[in-house]
Formats: sequence, structure tokens, C-alpha cells
Amino acid sequence: MSQSLRPYLTAVRYSLQAALNLTNFSSQVVERHNRPEVEVPNTSAELLLQPMHVSRNEHEQVLIEPSVNSVRVSIKVKQADEIEQILVHKFTRFLEQRAESFYVLRRVPIEGFSISFLITNKHTESMNTEKLVDFIIEFMEEVDKEISEMKLFLNARARFVAEAYLGEFVY
Amino acid sequence: MLHLRPENLLVQKTLTEAWNANENGAPLSLDRVISDFDYTTLHVSNTPENKTVLWLSIKTKVWQSALKCGNGFLEHLESKYSNFPGITPTQQPEQGYDYTLQVDLAQLQPEAMVQLSLLKIHVMSFAFQLAFQEFSVLSQQTQDPSSFSGSNDTGVLRHLQYRDDESIYIKPSNDRVTVIFETFFQDETDKVFGKVFLQEFVDARKRNRSIQSAPQVLFSHEPPLETASVTSNRRTDKDRRFITFVLFPRHFQTPELQFSSVCHLALFRNYFHYHIKCSKAYMHSRMRYRVDSFIKVLNRAKVGETDESEQQTRRTITGRKMVY
Amino acid sequence: MEDWRRIDIDAFDPDSGRLVPEDLAPPNLKSVNAGEIESKISQLRSAATSGDFATALQLVTNEPPYSADEVTKSRYFEAVLSALTQVRQAEIANLVKQLSPAQTDVLIKYLYKGMSVPEGQKQGGILLSWFEKVTQNTGVAPVVRYLSDRRTV
Repeated sequence: MSQSLRPYLTAVRYSLQAALNLTNFSSQVVERHNRPEVEVPNTSAELLLQPMHVSRNEHEQVLIEPSVNSVRVSIKVKQADEIEQILVHKFTRFLEQRAESFYVLRRVPIEGFSISFLITNKHTESMNTEKLVDFIIEFMEEVDKEISEMKLFLNARARFVAEAYLGEFVY
Repeated sequence: MLHLRPENLLVQKTLTEAWNANENGAPLSLDRVISDFDYTTLHVSNTPENKTVLWLSIKTKVWQSALKCGNGFLEHLESKYSNFPGITPTQQPEQGYDYTLQVDLAQLQPEAMVQLSLLKIHVMSFAFQLAFQEFSVLSQQTQDPSSFSGSNDTGVLRHLQYRDDESIYIKPSNDRVTVIFETFFQDETDKVFGKVFLQEFVDARKRNRSIQSAPQVLFSHEPPLETASVTSNRRTDKDRRFITFVLFPRHFQTPELQFSSVCHLALFRNYFHYHIKCSKAYMHSRMRYRVDSFIKVLNRAKVGETDESEQQTRRTITGRKMVY
Repeated sequence: MEDWRRIDIDAFDPDSGRLVPEDLAPPNLKSVNAGEIESKISQLRSAATSGDFATALQLVTNEPPYSADEVTKSRYFEAVLSALTQVRQAEIANLVKQLSPAQTDVLIKYLYKGMSVPEGQKQGGILLSWFEKVTQNTGVAPVVRYLSDRRTV
């Protein structure tokens, strides 16, 4: 792991540990509703806690928005060039289309981020919080790795294909 | 499957079937429409009166522009098949098609089937052929000092429009033949992937010594000067890409070399797009795998599953299940 | 006119019981005047430029201007950020050890604030190493206190 990645992930880990402290909380406004307060527009301010930004640089950030019964974690994945942008977009869309098997994945990322997770008290009740944090951390590690591997693959393939084509002209 | 073959395998297969059936004395009734790259359709059918005689018709986007390239287009196609007995061009092409060959199965030779399946390549090769001829004239002039005017003579720019938005330009000069592909990406992703691929085409020759003798490849967003006469008065579109192949005499010295160069150039776009699609497919399978591995990690976080299995094995000393 | 169904009528109802962040700010915060902050900023800058980071850090973490308005806060924060980012990596651990728990809480607030603004994000690496040293020292506690503290820097 590179030098600056470790503190980044540690910071995200601590922030998540602090934030994933959720309780069942019924809506104060609508009877018999129980909704993730972080997603409710115009919710009462005491239900929301201080949002936490963890940034490695301008291009790699995590925003954790905690509330009384839910936490929204948004990740901005590094996108250095056009190819990475497309790969990140394709990859996150691919995941979002399978959001129901991910439980905690939000179908649409919030503005300015590549992918968002929404963890509610239901999730922390049925899952081990520590492992859930592990999942987010592993996700962040793997996404970066996956994107750069795909990019390398694309370049390698392009090179091979081009050489094979031009090789046909060598007589 | 790294390379695309220039022959149309379906045509070949159909003809082989028909030929075998005819040999066995039971000619097939055929009416088959076969498609090829770049909006090309081939139609194989029996002639109305005789089952042992077939019509092979072609309809292709490139036909109109190939006709405009110069005189002798039909003669060029005829010459390709005149050596094979049993193949005669019809005077009137079949309704809805550009060109029809009449094939007599009784006289057909197996090697002629390959040639028939190359019909589309032969259509495209006409413009290349003209350019190669013009090149030899131009290079003669340069070698002959009496007629050499001193200026770098260049030949006629030939234009093959093989898709709605995409064209090939061929321009001979006295020491080379330049082939320019004008291409257009409809898909955003293709555009970016295409850029990566094209860049590698440009760099491949510099990097790999063993393919130094391949044609030089250039890639630009701006129309190259060679095509200025056609493209200058057109609105420039930022999504257009121009890929230039510079063929040197060593690439078209003999008819065999000419043929193989033309085959590869004619399939350049298809080859290139085919590999873009392949990369996308690979990425998808990779992402699918990643999703699975992520779900595995997430499922590890679930509580309850391991506990339940423990509960099931909890029994009393006499072997009865514990009930809570 | 916009869709009337989407009008948030509770916002106009004084009895709705909805709170806004300002309602949550604890009462009787010590008010600060502009002059005090200006002098603090210049003290901070001079401490940072002379390399006396221990003093600078004490200044940063003691009595941050909670009650100031946003503009003043961000002006003050600029000075804090430049002081924090001038410290060498190796010294961070030592400096952090000298802080009391209350001071650590303030430091964490500044670190999170730093990472939420573009100027701080550019220095993400150094802020993260501050963060790492703090959590090595005290664990998750200051982060939890940051979450629930309504006094912002």
C-alpha cells in the first residue's frame, strides 16, 4: 500500500466507526414512518450530526454524513483522465444496477461523488459494524486497484492489437 | 480470433453446400441473404429456370463511390472472375442489388468459391487498384528526367464512402500511396477507447522493431492536407478522426502484396471496432467478477448465519435437540 | 409558480418544532470581537513563521472563535491551515502528545474542516497524517465528540 493511502483509509475507518452508531428512530413528522433521516429533505437539525470530509486530495474524497438512524457515505474515486472517468462511471453504474444485492449501496450517488452508500440502523442491526467498515475500506482499496488494472489492460490490449495488425503488413 | 478473415465464410459455406448437393445430383433450392460488414448484403439464390445455376448478388454502400472512382469498374470485377469457368456477370443486376454474378455449379471449381466470397473486397479493391496503377505512372515520370517537371506530382484523390459517415480516401504520389480513413464514433465510450487504440497504432511501429517495415500510421482530428480538396469546404466536426496509412512501394510491389494490403486495409475499421467491443466485453466480465467478490465481503459482515448453524448442532447429552 | 405541493409549509410554521442548526448552538458562547481575532491571526502567523509550532498549536486549540461569523472563521482558518501544514511530518507526533483532550477535540474539528474546503484538500496528505497521529494517541473518542459537538470552527 502506498504511503499516503494508509492514513487516508485509517481516517475513513475511524470516522466510520464513530458514525456507525445508529438507533431505530421513527419519523417525527409522519406517523408510522421510519425513514433514514439523512435522506429526508428539511429534516430537523438535531437529527443530523456534523458531516465529515476525509480527503486525500481534490480527486479522492470521502464524505460521511451521519444522522440519528442512518449514515450516508459518499466516495469520490480518483479519475485522472478520460479513460479513468469512463471506467469509473461504467464500474459504479454496474454496481448501482445491482444495488439490491449490496443492501447498503445507494442507487444514485450524491452530487459530486462517484458512488454513495446508505447505511441505516437496519443494516447495523443485522450486520457486524466492524465488518461493514471493513467492507467500505476494502471497497475503496479495490476500486482504485480495479480501475488502474482495467486501464492497463486496455492499453496492453490496444498495443497488442495494433502490433498484430501492422505485423500483417510486414512482408 | 485475432484477425478478421477477408472472405465471407457464410458465402463460402453456402456455395460449398450447393456445390456438394449438385455433385450428388440433388441441387438445393436456395434463397439466402447474407450480410457482411459495412451495410453489405449478399444474396444467393437459384435462377428462376435452372436449379443448378445460382445468382450471387451484392448490395453495398461502397458501390456508388467505387463507380465514381474511374472508368472500368465493371471490367475490373469481371477480370477477377474471368479465369474461373462457370462464373459470368449478368447484364442486369438482380432487383435491389448492385451487381449479380451467375454461377454455374456444374462448372464451378472449389477455388472459385473463395474468390466469390471475396466479392466485397474486390469491389473495394478497385479504387486501390487504380491508385496503384497511377502510382507506377507517377514514379516512372519521376525517374525519367526529361518529363520530370521538378514538382512533387501527386495523383487523383479517390474517395470511397463505405458507411454513412465514414470514408476512405486514397491518394497516390510518386513515392507512396496514402490511405486515409475518416471515422466517426457514435458512442462516447468508443470514442475514448478508440483514442487509446489509435494512439497505439501510431506508436506501435516506433516501439516494435520487428514491424518497422509496416506502413506508417498517423492520427489526427484535423483533416490531413491530402484530403483538403474534399474536406475543406465541409463543416469540421470535432468527433471526426482521421487515420492515415502511408503505403510504400514495398507494400504493393506484386499483385499478391497488393491484394493482401487491400484486404487488411478494407477490414481496418472492422478490426479496430471489433477489438474495442472485445475490450468492453472483457471489462464487463471483470466487473461481474468484482461484484461477486464485493458481495462476498459484504456477506461476511452479516450476523446470524454462523450463529444459526451453531444452534442447530446444539443437542442435549441424550442426543435430543435443544429447544429454547 | 413552482409546484405548490412541494412547498415546505413546516418551514413557515413557528410551532412546527423543527430546529435549524442555529437553534442548536449552545447558549452563552464566549463572544469574540474582530480585533481579538485579528491579533490572534497575526500571533499565529508569526509563531508559524518563526517555527515555534508548539506555541502555534496551543493558540489554535485554545478558545477557537466559535461565535464568530463564517467570513471571520474562514479568515482565521486560513491562518490555522497554513500553520498546520508547515509542521514537518516527524514533529507531528510530538506536538499531538502535548495536547489536552479538550485541545485534541478542537484540533480534530480543524482537521475535518480543512479536508472539506478546496485549500485544505490540496494539503490532504499532511492533514491526514495529523489525523493519524491524533487517533493513534487517543483513539476514536475525539471523532465521536466532533460528531455531536454543535460548536463549529
